[in-house]
Amino acid sequence: MTTTAPTSPPTAADHAARRRRRNRRAALVGWSFILPNFLGFALVTLVPVLAAAVLAFAEWDSYNPPRWVGLDNFTRMLADQNVRVALTNTLYYAAGHIPLTLVAALGLALVLNRRTRGVGFFRTAAFFPYVTSLVAVAVVWNALFDPNSGPVNQFLGALGVTDPPGWTTSTTWSMPAVILTSVWRDMGYYMVLYLAGLQAIPAEYHEAARVDGANRWQRFLHVTLPCLRPTTFFVLVMLTIQSFKVLDLIVVMTDGGPGRSTLVLAQLVYRVGIREGEFGYSSAISLLLFALVLVVTAAQFRLNQRRHIP
Amino acid sequence: MIPNRRAGSRARRWAGLAAALSLAVTGCGPGAAADPNTLTVSVWNLASTPEFQALFDAFEQANPGVTVKPVDIVAADYPEKVTTMLAGGDRTDVITMKNVTDYARHSSRGQLQDVTDLVEPLEPQGLQGLEAFESEGRYFAAPYRQDFWVLYYNKTLFQQAGVPAPENWTWAEYADAAKKLTTGSGGDKTFGAYHHVWRSVVQAIAAAQNDGDQLSGDYGFFTEQYTTALRMQQDGSVLDYGAITTQQADYRSTFERARTAMMPMGTWYTSSIIKAKREGDSQVDWAIAPLPQRAEGGEVATFGSPTAFAANRNADNSDLAREFVAFAAGEEGAKAITKVGVVPALRSEALTDAYFQLDGMAKDELSTAAFRPDHVALEMPVSKRSSAVDTILKEEHELIMVGEKSVADGIRDMGERVRTEAPE
Repeated sequence: MTTTAPTSPPTAADHAARRRRRNRRAALVGWSFILPNFLGFALVTLVPVLAAAVLAFAEWDSYNPPRWVGLDNFTRMLADQNVRVALTNTLYYAAGHIPLTLVAALGLALVLNRRTRGVGFFRTAAFFPYVTSLVAVAVVWNALFDPNSGPVNQFLGALGVTDPPGWTTSTTWSMPAVILTSVWRDMGYYMVLYLAGLQAIPAEYHEAARVDGANRWQRFLHVTLPCLRPTTFFVLVMLTIQSFKVLDLIVVMTDGGPGRSTLVLAQLVYRVGIREGEFGYSSAISLLLFALVLVVTAAQFRLNQRRHIP
Repeated sequence: MIPNRRAGSRARRWAGLAAALSLAVTGCGPGAAADPNTLTVSVWNLASTPEFQALFDAFEQANPGVTVKPVDIVAADYPEKVTTMLAGGDRTDVITMKNVTDYARHSSRGQLQDVTDLVEPLEPQGLQGLEAFESEGRYFAAPYRQDFWVLYYNKTLFQQAGVPAPENWTWAEYADAAKKLTTGSGGDKTFGAYHHVWRSVVQAIAAAQNDGDQLSGDYGFFTEQYTTALRMQQDGSVLDYGAITTQQADYRSTFERARTAMMPMGTWYTSSIIKAKREGDSQVDWAIAPLPQRAEGGEVATFGSPTAFAANRNADNSDLAREFVAFAAGEEGAKAITKVGVVPALRSEALTDAYFQLDGMAKDELSTAAFRPDHVALEMPVSKRSSAVDTILKEEHELIMVGEKSVADGIRDMGERVRTEAPE
């Protein structure tokens, strides 16, 4: 006796199974698209970040097995003068670099957002520092800031300044010198972002304002600035993150000196870890830096959201 | 059949994925098995450090069939790069120990092989600088080069200023002579002396000549040397510390272009000035003299530091690595580096004679006398704290030299910071 399986019409269960398969396939295709990027991110960013978070509770010389020390690294950090100095300097740098770059970039964008002859040249010139090698920038600015024979002080002398600053050889002026250099370098990049923002503002808004009798300043304040708000927010967030993790420019220009006057957190992380071989403690300091960036950036997002609500 | 085709395509997809994954993973994995006849050695600035190539050539000649493959690293990044390499389980066979502070770190972590059996037979032959590498009776590196500090001077400029050769000088006489040797102004100025920015130029000299301990936290013995250095800076007979850092001045070109008449520097500089003269980059008529001392007529005390080779614990070719370490520290290695003007750690009359017979070498009596100081102190004592103390001393040194702190305040702060930030 033979039996044949009844060929019944597809049931609801069959439909669901097919839908699940289709969904799974779509998900797989999606995953395969992000996989290369995600793998790179996981291997060179995510894993080290997680490892740092774990190592912050250990003493580790990078070679022998780590030894767990609980919160020792964090209590040590509280008493460590170097951490205090580096934290203060990082905040000082950010407080100078963020607003100055923002204002300079916006100013440049406003000036260069016209259809006049040669504007392309000036835009390129303003962007040029950003593509220049950072080491070259640091070395050249260091020479410009030479207290005795540098052009900066010679210029100040010509203006009648009798006691010009010692710039990178002075504890008071080394941070301003670094900030000025970094503003000069970064403003071109953010200018491009602002230019894009400016060009997205519909011309009708300005025309309407003009018809209503608004002068140039009023139009800037009530049309341009509000329309640039998304750009400004993006620039602000990027600048904040960039400022807090500054390292390269300072290492080449002053190496944290004179004394500790330009020592920043990222540099301390590098010094304690790579140079002195205390990877546990260095991870703890890097967590502090991470927390700092996270809190400030989260606060900016929160503020931005609140302003969106009418 | 439809189900089969689907299964096939799924299998292919997974295979592709697996291939991508394995590519990504093997990309970071260790390389292929090493060739037993290839020796890898970590070095810095291979092109401008002639001793390395000299040693490699000699070793290859003594061991036919063996090839030495240098791993060239920028000098300024050398310690950090080696730290990272070793932490990552790098299998380079021989690791050059650029200074004893780094050595202390690597040996205490157990990253280097015990080479006591190779070092011990060399000691009676006159191998210098061993004490820096000893740890509880064992050695984890063998010194092949032993530099110490002397005074380089430009004979032409001395004759023009009518200043006699710097024989048995005190620091006061040195400062006076520097003033007389300073001529010109602005871009054409020739300085009496050039003090590079390294803290050792003041601090290690003071420690060597006062029997001071740079790890002690008590730095009164620096005072005299700082006073001299600052006075010379004030009277304009040395290039200002700030100018050296902002212009990133190079001590080699400063001396080789006759912009300074005198320069305290380590003996490693001899090989590069010989090279510069041979290649026509410098016309300076130079010689060396012992470093000036605190008092007249006493013994000559200076400081120096040995450079060593160590065999990596993870070396691909351990046997060959150990052979190279012994070779470089031994007589054949010493002969090879003497030929390029480098002071070997193995000292003998024959080697010293060979050194002074080199083409381009200063051969006068004072120069040969400078080669025999009475005491050579270690540049920085070896300890786990060396690196941390070094950072503090460097930061405070900067502040004193740029005039941000008085000598007394700087020395007080060094002590306080060493006691609190790098306690014993």
